[in-house]
Amino acid sequence: MFLGLQKGSRVRILAAFLFVAVAAIVVRLFQIQIIDHGKYVAMGESEYVKRLTIPARRGLVYTLDSGKPVPLVVNETIFTLFLDPKIIDEPKKIEDVIKKVAGGNITSDIKEALKKTDSRYQVVAKELTRKQAELIKKEKLAGIGFQEGTRRVYPEGGLAAQVLGFVNGEGAGQYGIEQALNERLKGKDGRLESVTDISSVPLTIGDKNINQPAEDGENVVLTIDRNIQRKTEQALKAELDRISPSATGSVMVMDPQSGKVLAMANFPSYNPAEYNKVKDAALFSNAVLTNSYEPGSVIKTFIMATGLDNGVVNPETTYYNRDYITVGDCGKDCTIGNAALGHTGNITMQTVLNYSLNTGAVTVAKLLGGGEVNKSARDRIYDYYHNRFGFGLKTGIELYEEQGIIVSPDDPSGANVRYANMTFGQGMNITMVQALSGFSAAINGGNYYKPTVVAGAMKDGKYKAAEAAEPVRTGVVKPATSDTLRSMLQTARGTTLAGQRDEPGYRIGGKTGTSETITTSGYTKASTVASYLGFGGGNTPKYAIMVRVQCDGLSLEGGIHAEPVFSEISNWLIKYMKVAKE
Amino acid sequence: MPSLQQGVVRKHKPDYMILLFMGIIMMVGLVMIYSIGHQRANVLNNIFGTNYPEDYFFFNQLTSVAVAVVAFFAAFKVPPKLLKKIGAAVLVAGIAACLVLAVAALVSGGEGNAIANCTYGACRWINVGSRSFQPAELLKLGLLIYLAIFLGARGRQGKVNESETLLPLAIVSGIALFFIVVLQRDLGTGVVVGALVLSMLVVAGVSKKILILIMSAAVVLGLIMTVAVPHRRERLMTFLGGDSSSIEDDDAYHVTNAKIAIGTGGLLGVGIGNSVQATGYLPESINDSVFAIMGETFGFVGLLVIIGLFVILLSRLLKVTYFLHNSEGRILVAGVFGWIAAHMVMNIAAMIGLMPLTGITLPFLSYGGTSMMFVAAALGMAFGMSRYTAHSPVIEGKESDESSSSRRRVGRPRYASRRSS
Repeated sequence: MFLGLQKGSRVRILAAFLFVAVAAIVVRLFQIQIIDHGKYVAMGESEYVKRLTIPARRGLVYTLDSGKPVPLVVNETIFTLFLDPKIIDEPKKIEDVIKKVAGGNITSDIKEALKKTDSRYQVVAKELTRKQAELIKKEKLAGIGFQEGTRRVYPEGGLAAQVLGFVNGEGAGQYGIEQALNERLKGKDGRLESVTDISSVPLTIGDKNINQPAEDGENVVLTIDRNIQRKTEQALKAELDRISPSATGSVMVMDPQSGKVLAMANFPSYNPAEYNKVKDAALFSNAVLTNSYEPGSVIKTFIMATGLDNGVVNPETTYYNRDYITVGDCGKDCTIGNAALGHTGNITMQTVLNYSLNTGAVTVAKLLGGGEVNKSARDRIYDYYHNRFGFGLKTGIELYEEQGIIVSPDDPSGANVRYANMTFGQGMNITMVQALSGFSAAINGGNYYKPTVVAGAMKDGKYKAAEAAEPVRTGVVKPATSDTLRSMLQTARGTTLAGQRDEPGYRIGGKTGTSETITTSGYTKASTVASYLGFGGGNTPKYAIMVRVQCDGLSLEGGIHAEPVFSEISNWLIKYMKVAKE
Repeated sequence: MPSLQQGVVRKHKPDYMILLFMGIIMMVGLVMIYSIGHQRANVLNNIFGTNYPEDYFFFNQLTSVAVAVVAFFAAFKVPPKLLKKIGAAVLVAGIAACLVLAVAALVSGGEGNAIANCTYGACRWINVGSRSFQPAELLKLGLLIYLAIFLGARGRQGKVNESETLLPLAIVSGIALFFIVVLQRDLGTGVVVGALVLSMLVVAGVSKKILILIMSAAVVLGLIMTVAVPHRRERLMTFLGGDSSSIEDDDAYHVTNAKIAIGTGGLLGVGIGNSVQATGYLPESINDSVFAIMGETFGFVGLLVIIGLFVILLSRLLKVTYFLHNSEGRILVAGVFGWIAAHMVMNIAAMIGLMPLTGITLPFLSYGGTSMMFVAAALGMAFGMSRYTAHSPVIEGKESDESSSSRRRVGRPRYASRRSS
């Protein structure tokens, strides 16, 4: 400490001062560099390690056009413009340039933003196109920055809007395919972690740098056919326009041999490019999937299929029609009447379908129970409706769907009367996709396919179709039942006015439906839901179509208000699909 | 001044260790500037739009080192007789320079002009062409030489503790401190001057009572000066606030980043060229904060080596003082010790949060010419004095020892003899 200096020397005082100071410094350095080393490393990292996210490109969505994919949703690069008021030296010019080039994109007051001189990031305009951004960049103004982003662009406008959904401002898919397949579409963001200098320029110093590239989202190809979808939307819109400005409706077109959805349309709809202008969020929902309802008489097709498959009826089976029928022993409450009156006497099951007679449908149920609607009849109906045709079950389509309700035969509310009502589509809630999927199985020989909207993927510009799906259930009905049912539906359609609308030489099958709606005071005939369920393509049906239209305060009928939509699409499909004459 | 002794102690070889360690420290400084100078240039170019070439700072520092080495040898070569003659002149020149700066600063209203170079209202530099010069450094040198001669003479007369010595001393020091602390608002340099003068007083034989009195007065004065000026008060608050103070304050930011730099260095450092703090985070990375960058680069071990280099250099100065019988010379060398030690301790202590930030350079390591040139000149004088050491130490208060002991052992000092063996 005293460097060998003799006691008494004043130099010792200086040496002592130096020693004390240096000792204090060394102790402190030991504390900072050895003991607290980790703490300062962490502080340093939080200061100069910048973590950037490399956004993954969201996958595109394709539609098919006669089997060939065409883009339906694409991405466009857009720019967010921000100011760095701290380093801006030409505020007036900056304001002028932005107003001139991107006046419509300004999101906040530029003058106010410029005043915040201790801020380094003030967003003043959003969604600039590349061209706008380049025009502004060309001015070489200090303190202007751009952040690249993407936005969804819809080359087909509002086509299939409710199938697609949209992507919100945070980049999350909302509704439709965008939400349902969000994980596949969004891809995986990359990470860039780098030590940077004070201007955020990455340095090559250290081993903490991470560069993980982004994995772009999958490009999805939909089963939706662009042309069928457009035709479907047009046909629906045209009919609704005829009915009433406030009429609403939905149509679904399916390939009954695979469960592929060829078109799904609802009206009113919206334009996904302007989703933020939509005031009623109900517009975003795909009513085909999310609006479960009492389907009404179209369900007679299914009770007939159940009767045929169980061998209790055939088209020629007769019963005595009194235009009313009683179930059980509960008097007036248990009496069910026909909507179409006058076809009394001994009539066949074909006549039941031709004129949509409720008494005939209940008769089938009674025959299933050996003469009465009983537990045995209920079990059989439930087995077919629920277990085989999939009513009251989610179909498993990729999109959000409702489940609907089929009351269990063992449920106290699943009494005989309810099951009698279920023979003509009342007392049960199902979605259109359930009805059409079950219908496809009933007419295609008994194979139930899971409905799907995804046909495959586009990878590196090549379309890779998904493998052909196997039916999730086979033997839903016997092939012979299917044959008979198709024939009955063709005859039923042929005997009505509708049949005259079909292209000559084609036998198109279908069944109308008109269901009363439930209000707080019970069923009402004032507002009815009109529907039509049918198919085309003969013994190997090429398409199945379901139409539903409704309008508050109007009593709509399946044969009058829904069927024309079916005819319009069906006749067009015959040509489009080049369906052969039988 | 050493004329009295010249016949007694033969002039021998100087203590080359002083030269050696100054050289080593300068080399370390050059390596440092070489490794971070381009980053400094990038930072300035990016942020302020300047256009410094990458090697600008290195070559500038090389020039500064060359100038410093020249100053060192020039001061070394100045004969002690001449030193005695120019002492007062240097002091007057220093005061004059400060006066010029003060007037120029006043005229400019603290904004700076062709002569005065001001930062945040503190005018400490005089512009000389494209470069600048800090008159306080010249003043320090003048004070060093003048007081050494003055105190040495008084000491031989045995009048060190009398008012006829202390009063002029107080007046001269007071004038210097007035310029530096009050006009130039440079408390740091003021403290250095205080340390310099005190070191001289200690070996000049001023009584301990008076020393304690002076030190107490200095502390009280320093505190008053600190509290009276807002920016110093802030620095003090930053210092007292420690790590908990918000990083938004410039000083707190400076100290926090200095500590991050030093702490990140750990035991062995991140290695040359790998400093992140030098890329713009740490202010004054090549000047006042170079120690922190060294801590990041070389780690605890490296800093111990650097501190060790200074301690050895300073110890050599103490040894010279210890064995130098000529009063003027030993007081002068003690002043040089105080000067360098104060710079080193205050610079490092500020970087590690032991003292408030004062903007004091780290001798021979910090980027910049004026400070290095004058420190080198002062050290050169000490180097020159090292030629007159004797074998026996000086024990203050035993005046009689001086002549007899040196007379007994006339001849080669032990350094010289060791080296030749």
